[in-house]
Amino acid sequence: MSSVNVLLPQQATILDITEETPDIKTLRVVGKEGLPFDFMPGQCAMLSIPPVGEAIFSITSSPTCRECLEFSIKDVGKVSSALHSVVPGQQIGIRGPYGNGFPVDEMKGKDLLFIGGGIGLAPLRSLIGYCFAHREDYGKIDIVYGARSPADLIRKSEVQESWAEEPDTDVHLTVDAEFPGWDKNVGFVPTYVSDLGFKPENKIAITCGPPIMIKFVLQALEKLNFTPDQVITTLEMRMKCGVGKCGRCNLGPVYVCKDGPVFTLEELNALPAEY
Amino acid sequence: MKKIIAREKLPELWKSLSELGPLFLPVQEGPVVLFQPWQEGAETNLDTTNTAVPPKDLFLPREETYMQYRCKGKELEVIPAEEVKPAVLFGVHPCDLYAVEMLDKVYMEQDPPDELYKKRRENTTIVALSCASPDPFCFCNDFDVNPAEAPGTDVMAQLKNGSVLLEAKTDKGKALLEQAGDLLEDGSGEEFARREVKTADFNLKLDGLPEDLKNRFEDPVWDELFKSCLGCGVCTYVCPTCYCFDVEDFGHEAGGERFRCWDSCMYGHFTEMAGGHNPRPGRKERVRQRFMHKLRYYPETFGQIACVGCGRCLRSCPVNLDIVQAIQALGGETVEQR
Repeated sequence: MSSVNVLLPQQATILDITEETPDIKTLRVVGKEGLPFDFMPGQCAMLSIPPVGEAIFSITSSPTCRECLEFSIKDVGKVSSALHSVVPGQQIGIRGPYGNGFPVDEMKGKDLLFIGGGIGLAPLRSLIGYCFAHREDYGKIDIVYGARSPADLIRKSEVQESWAEEPDTDVHLTVDAEFPGWDKNVGFVPTYVSDLGFKPENKIAITCGPPIMIKFVLQALEKLNFTPDQVITTLEMRMKCGVGKCGRCNLGPVYVCKDGPVFTLEELNALPAEY
Repeated sequence: MKKIIAREKLPELWKSLSELGPLFLPVQEGPVVLFQPWQEGAETNLDTTNTAVPPKDLFLPREETYMQYRCKGKELEVIPAEEVKPAVLFGVHPCDLYAVEMLDKVYMEQDPPDELYKKRRENTTIVALSCASPDPFCFCNDFDVNPAEAPGTDVMAQLKNGSVLLEAKTDKGKALLEQAGDLLEDGSGEEFARREVKTADFNLKLDGLPEDLKNRFEDPVWDELFKSCLGCGVCTYVCPTCYCFDVEDFGHEAGGERFRCWDSCMYGHFTEMAGGHNPRPGRKERVRQRFMHKLRYYPETFGQIACVGCGRCLRSCPVNLDIVQAIQALGGETVEQR
């Protein structure tokens, strides 16, 4: 395979589309024969839809799902907008997987605290599914997930029903303001994390969401005495190649596409804050 | 294998070599010299110092279509571009090949290799030409570049008393000289003249600079240095060690092509994300990125500063915000005063 141009996409077919929120859809995608490639939670793929182009997206399904790849995509740019207009059976381009993925082995034996905001749940969901499939490898699982409104929460039934029923697992949902019929927490994600008062002992916190949420979540975790090596996040940057050459996601001596996108807070603190 | 040819017979050599594939060599184009494919009657210029643009586009073309696509109904067909054809690069100066070695590290040695680049490298036979005299902007002496020897070249050449002396360094180079057949005379009795090429001394303090820059991301130097930058990007265009690219589609919904082309970290859109967030929103961040990449990030990964002293940015930057200015501001006279 070494003589293959890594920039060439393979064909993938849209199986079906779920409308998650007014601006987020989840696409289920299959390659010519099953999964287009094997991957680990936290890795990304380059999706393309000519003549609009290519963009990088995190894979939201767990690698233990052998049926298809899933991508939860928010309509914010040219490619994401085009991907919102695809129909079942349509073919798109796909290449990957890219990036390091979450350190699933280092996390073994630990309690896990997932903190997601809005579309930031997408990369976490891959890891959450992986941990449930390898339940005996991990300790207590807490999932804090929030969005602006109940309508902006993705994978609602999965989060509220399947995940909450997993053994030794607690799901904590929150939305920014009161809404009719909402009986869960009301408040911003970082505040809720503080209120829940998680203890850092033998725990790893994994967070992803809008930059402003991540900023305050990191502060909240620090106040709860989490050390930088106990906190993991995943970055988003503009990317064109996915293999550490085109230069866009260069951050100090690393390339987010190949050395990231997953970093511990300890690693991030050593890099220029230019993301 | 050493061969020699009188300069007046060179057009015959060009003609013979161009049968192998496109032959790129320095051609006078009005006021500038550029690597161009040779054709009958081309105004070649082997006496030039560095060409206006380095020959990196032989390996990383300014624009390179690598696939066609066709869409029919819901189907997408991807058709890879044809294989690249062999080429010859003749008359490249050593500094440019030191720079190609740096690109090789990123594009061939770092996993995964870039097959487009790799195939072009493998299919190109290189004839390097030692420097006779530097121009006022050359400062390769600062970077351990030997203007008389070129790394990785297939043939080393020198202009000597109205002749060109050629020595094969690789099998590919030997095959190239054999292609020329009787046009070349035996040069086994000839020696390459030893020449000291003394380039400009800008008093650059490079020792320890990459290490020193590790803690200088927030240095006040950056608040001043960028101010004259116009963001035109010519520094990245003419730099032999700059290698960033863009990938775009061109066509319509039924069919078209996907290509990559040179891009520049000096442009605002380079890092701008869907939704508008830009990690490097201003010229300060972009100027800092470019110089930090040359002087700190690349050295941390590959062990050497990503500059060969070719002097092109000194020649081309409209506001003299070249790498010499940056190195002097960062580590020249100011280093003790910090």
